[in-house]
Amino acid sequence: MGATATILHADLDAFYASVEQLLDPSLRGRPIAVGGGVVLAASYEAKKFGVHGGMSGRKARELCPELRFVGGHFDEYQRLGEAAIKVIGDFTPLVERISIDEAFADVAGTEHLFGPPEAVARAIRSRVREELGLPISVGVARTKHLAKIASQVAKPDGLLVVDPVRELEFLHQLPVELMWGVGPVTKAELAAAGVTTIGQLAAMPGRSLEGIVGQAIGEKLGALAWNRDPRAIHTEHRARSVGAQSALGRKAAREEVYRPTLHYLADRVATRLRAKERSGRTVTARVRFADLRSVTRSTTLPAGISATTILAEIAEELVRAALRDHPGERIVSLLAISVSHLEPDAMLQLELPLGLADEKRRPGARLAAARRKADGAVDAIRRRFGREAVAYGTVAGLAHGVPEGFRELAEKEI
Amino acid sequence: MKATIERATLLKSLGHIHRVVERRNTIPILSNVLLRAEGEKLTLKATDLDVEITEGIPAEVATPGATTVSAQILYDITRKLPEGAEVALEVDGEGRTLTVRAGRSRFSLQALPASDFPDLATGDFPIRFQLDASALKQLIDRTQFAISTEETRYYLNGIYLHVVSANTGPMLRAVATDGHRLAQAQLGAPEGAAEMPGIIVPRKTVGELQKLAEIADGDVTVEISDTKIRTTIGPIVLTSKLIDGTFPPYERVIPQANDKVLKVDRGEFSDAVDRVSTIASERGRAVKLALSDGRMVLTVNNPDSGSATEEIGVQFDAAPLEIGFNSRYLLDIGGQLKTGTAVFRLADPGSPTLIQDEGENDALYVLMPMRV
Repeated sequence: MGATATILHADLDAFYASVEQLLDPSLRGRPIAVGGGVVLAASYEAKKFGVHGGMSGRKARELCPELRFVGGHFDEYQRLGEAAIKVIGDFTPLVERISIDEAFADVAGTEHLFGPPEAVARAIRSRVREELGLPISVGVARTKHLAKIASQVAKPDGLLVVDPVRELEFLHQLPVELMWGVGPVTKAELAAAGVTTIGQLAAMPGRSLEGIVGQAIGEKLGALAWNRDPRAIHTEHRARSVGAQSALGRKAAREEVYRPTLHYLADRVATRLRAKERSGRTVTARVRFADLRSVTRSTTLPAGISATTILAEIAEELVRAALRDHPGERIVSLLAISVSHLEPDAMLQLELPLGLADEKRRPGARLAAARRKADGAVDAIRRRFGREAVAYGTVAGLAHGVPEGFRELAEKEI
Repeated sequence: MKATIERATLLKSLGHIHRVVERRNTIPILSNVLLRAEGEKLTLKATDLDVEITEGIPAEVATPGATTVSAQILYDITRKLPEGAEVALEVDGEGRTLTVRAGRSRFSLQALPASDFPDLATGDFPIRFQLDASALKQLIDRTQFAISTEETRYYLNGIYLHVVSANTGPMLRAVATDGHRLAQAQLGAPEGAAEMPGIIVPRKTVGELQKLAEIADGDVTVEISDTKIRTTIGPIVLTSKLIDGTFPPYERVIPQANDKVLKVDRGEFSDAVDRVSTIASERGRAVKLALSDGRMVLTVNNPDSGSATEEIGVQFDAAPLEIGFNSRYLLDIGGQLKTGTAVFRLADPGSPTLIQDEGENDALYVLMPMRV
């Protein structure tokens, strides 16, 4: 983090929808949505009608009757996303990709080669437009947080350089929801306290802010509101956790509802762990209720796990505990599980067969050995015949709003 | 209360006593040592509510009475007093302070009333037997290392002490396991022990007993109730709560039919394991043993640092076998074996292995392998 603005945040605009419009010229200039039952991405033309990702297909059609739904070309998303990142990589080695369609880059020290950061940003935008045919917005600032905010403000298809001299003036007039970590719930809590702009948040005494959003988040938001963000660009980005989530709409908080979903999520997470020969010791489950408030429960195990059924059972226990603590909540709108404290699969210490009640959680126990064999067989069948070829009975037949291809795009390298 | 004690005597006793006191206490009086002067004796007592230790030491008592003061401070003061000093302890009229005098030093310590000090040692102890201090220490030494530290498996956080019948009569047996290895040691049951229930003695108590048994000679008296164990070693009485839980049926993991027998020089084997494990990572301390006719090849592979191999001659004539173990576990067991030759009885690379001293039946170790 220096005194000059050298951090870029580049974000492909309405990426999935833009790719569809690129592939099919008849879609250009028209409101389209990728998906079906659920809107996965909307074009800018559709966004003008209020259509956005995560919205149900029916609601989107109500808002925009001429909306065209199109299927996803996942391989093209992957190819074009990679190509755009590669363009950025031609200007600096310091590129941190954070998802399929966005990346941070630091261009400090490249001025004598490519000119000032603003010139680099312009060059990236015009090359992505000319070579790939896609719009990309770029924000340039002194910190990652502000660069990301700048690219959001620059959208669609824009460039915004935040002059370090006037960065606070710029930042403070923006609405709080542009900040990292401010979702709908925090936004509403802040609004109730009369805080709608980042400037108002910055002016708040730390204690009052922490009283609203909690200490950990309060400290972070307080710092970010003054553009204090020491995070550097991490080029070797290896995720420290593996997770998956599933939006359920509004479903009853009952075991027969959440169990298959948790097994499905556990299958996704555990399969990815096994593919990289890693396992994790901490399991976290998140349950979001009808009002978008969510609670998490986590547990740390004596040894890392990567078995589907063990992960599913632990996630079930965590969700049951979360629901038990919130007996008033009868609706679940989202379930997520993640595994952290990742470690490479080392040689596994086996457990003495003492017949203890907690043995089923331990990867070295006999039961786990049987499960590992079953997982290995499932993995092998899928490598040969595809992901859908085989599934656990608890998951089979479960319908999902989000196609598998999309989920894979959203998954980070572990 | 007013009493005078030799510095050396007081220091030795406080050395035993202060170990039981927990460093951090939410209940202030638990940081204190209880001092009670009566007859020709000063009795010191400390507790953490799970373990209680008392010791009586000779003293010149001018005025009988009792008080409590910080165990750590009194220990530190006594430690720093000059050798050969006489230490005078005196409680002021209202009982709020204890004055400690020795030579020209004078300390005034805040005191809490003795009547508030908890008492753990009371109650009936229907079982009572005696055994040699060195025999008790040996039972502990051979099993203590296998005690589990996992709090969720509280019933494994101690040594399981119980009586079993054998051809030669009843045996007093100690067993500990952490789920990866199991250690068992036994001796002929002392008179009066045959009726005892199986008890789980907590790790902290085991550690204290081990230290006390080391400095004692002669007999130790053990008394047992449904919830407590009381051990008297000379002037010291250690009382402890027992772990309220059921020890798992451990016999099922002790292999009876492992037919691949390996005999190896204990020292040579431990040294080799120690050498090759030098390059093992902190996690995954696996050493692979490749056994074939008359030889053992030990290998450690660490992707981050390299590999190590050593070969030693052994007695082994079964079909060749490769099996992995945690090197630390092998060294722990090697450290408890007593004779020159260690005997391994193996089945396969995924099943428990039995390890014993050659010709020794009173101790055995079961070790679960690592998946190679």
